[in-house]
Amino acid sequence: MNEVLLSNQIIVFLLSESTLFILLLVAFVVSLKVLVKWDFESFMPFQFALERQAYLVSTIILFVFVMKFILVVYFIFSIDALSLLLPGAMCGAGVIKANVYGSYLLVLKLSILFLLTLWFYIHYYDMRTKNHQWFKHKSWLFSLIFVFIVLELGLDFSYFSNIDTHLPVSCCSALFGQLEGANPLPFGLSVSLLLVLFYLLYILVILSLKSGYTLLYILTNILFVYIAYYAVVYFFGTYVYQLPTHKCPFCMLQAEYAYVGYLLWASLFMGTYIGLSDAISTLWLGKTDPKSKNIVVWLLSLFVLLCTAYVAVYYLRNGVLL
Amino acid sequence: MSNKTMIQIENLYRTFHHAGNAMPVLKDINLSIGQGECVVLKGVSGSGKTTLLSLIAGLDKPSSGKVLIEGEPISKLPDLFASELRAKKIGMIFQHFNLFEHLSVNENVTIPLIPSGLKMKEIHEKVDDALKVANIMHKKEVLASRLSGGEKQRTAIARALVASPNIILCDEPTANLDRDNSLLFIEILGELHRMGKTIVIATHDPLFDSLSFESTVIPMVDGMIG
Repeated sequence: MNEVLLSNQIIVFLLSESTLFILLLVAFVVSLKVLVKWDFESFMPFQFALERQAYLVSTIILFVFVMKFILVVYFIFSIDALSLLLPGAMCGAGVIKANVYGSYLLVLKLSILFLLTLWFYIHYYDMRTKNHQWFKHKSWLFSLIFVFIVLELGLDFSYFSNIDTHLPVSCCSALFGQLEGANPLPFGLSVSLLLVLFYLLYILVILSLKSGYTLLYILTNILFVYIAYYAVVYFFGTYVYQLPTHKCPFCMLQAEYAYVGYLLWASLFMGTYIGLSDAISTLWLGKTDPKSKNIVVWLLSLFVLLCTAYVAVYYLRNGVLL
Repeated sequence: MSNKTMIQIENLYRTFHHAGNAMPVLKDINLSIGQGECVVLKGVSGSGKTTLLSLIAGLDKPSSGKVLIEGEPISKLPDLFASELRAKKIGMIFQHFNLFEHLSVNENVTIPLIPSGLKMKEIHEKVDDALKVANIMHKKEVLASRLSGGEKQRTAIARALVASPNIILCDEPTANLDRDNSLLFIEILGELHRMGKTIVIATHDPLFDSLSFESTVIPMVDGMIG
């Protein structure tokens, strides 16, 4: 038996994921039946029964919505803990790259969280209409999410059962370190241009969000996440580690760095999920929520401030930059 | 009496399911109650009176059929709207009073107005008016746990009245009261009737058979209107 599959964390993780999957499978089967036969104008027993079942489905999805957020954090925590088992791994980066499934799994998990946030928004608006105006929208979206969830469960098992604990993996410095003459940054950017773009995009995101240019906001926010990832790994992260050669998105999740990575990545992704969900709701349903916009501003600003603070504090303490 | 229909019930059924068995509690209820009417639903325990009141209040959803309050169908309202409807249009009085025992009479009656967005001055005025109608003003600052059964029921009346609803639903309101307090309760109901409130009472108390004010007694037997 694979040593990884026998570790307590992974057993708990896979059992939790499987339990949620069973719940969602029930919800999916019921929601398909409800979706096909839904007729809100009817006052017949069958429609009332469907409405009760739809309520049950929504409750299950809401529960899964909360649990999935917790489980993604736990997944990251677990793969970080697995680095102790794999030769060569110093943090979750090496573990994620231990086989071909890891990176896809991580991206899929983050995508599912986004889709669940969007579902939550549509559900929120649907429950605020007397005739469940957005019921079909949220049901179709749930069907799409369920396809992703099936993929995710398959990848969960494929990933963890294919980690060979005897095979050395690359550490983060090998994965994210710069080869001689090679530029790992996107669009051939230099670090200083990357930083200019980082702050510029942040300002654009906030301005487009506040001024209501929804399409511009969606584009700039997606680009901001992309650039922010590189900015954290190749610039701000080095100040977290206080080492110019240490470039890694995972090490900052460890106790040694006060788990600051969780706060950093959570503020970026939560801000983006909420902002994009609100923007898509605006385009799709014609509904928007001013409170969400404020939350996005707070979260993204927290992310940018936190990044900047590491550089500022380092400079104030040492009088030089890395 | 106005012709305006306050409560309209059409082909209403409610069936509960337990261990694979269907238990029909309400069967084909059709009822129309006009503004200012007082209707007494009379029946033994298990005849479906409380279930019918819950459906009228939007606390439960039917198995089929319609409930309309002032012309608006409420049997499919999402929880948020059902709560809003209850807060504005319906006052409820229960057999067990359902008061917060650790709060004073004044605080218990104030609670329904907290989400209303009214200014504190207006809230105080409304609470005082309700306490006067329910004849419990003199116990305003007393904790609910220190009240007698009759006083608790009068506090519940004040709470039901404080948001000025047009409809008052009473579920076995005198079941925990002695005869004197029951008569006092009925007296206050008469006052509400004179104020033009639409009143629906679910009870098996014989005191409601011959009220001193105009009322309609509707017998309920095995989930049907007799």
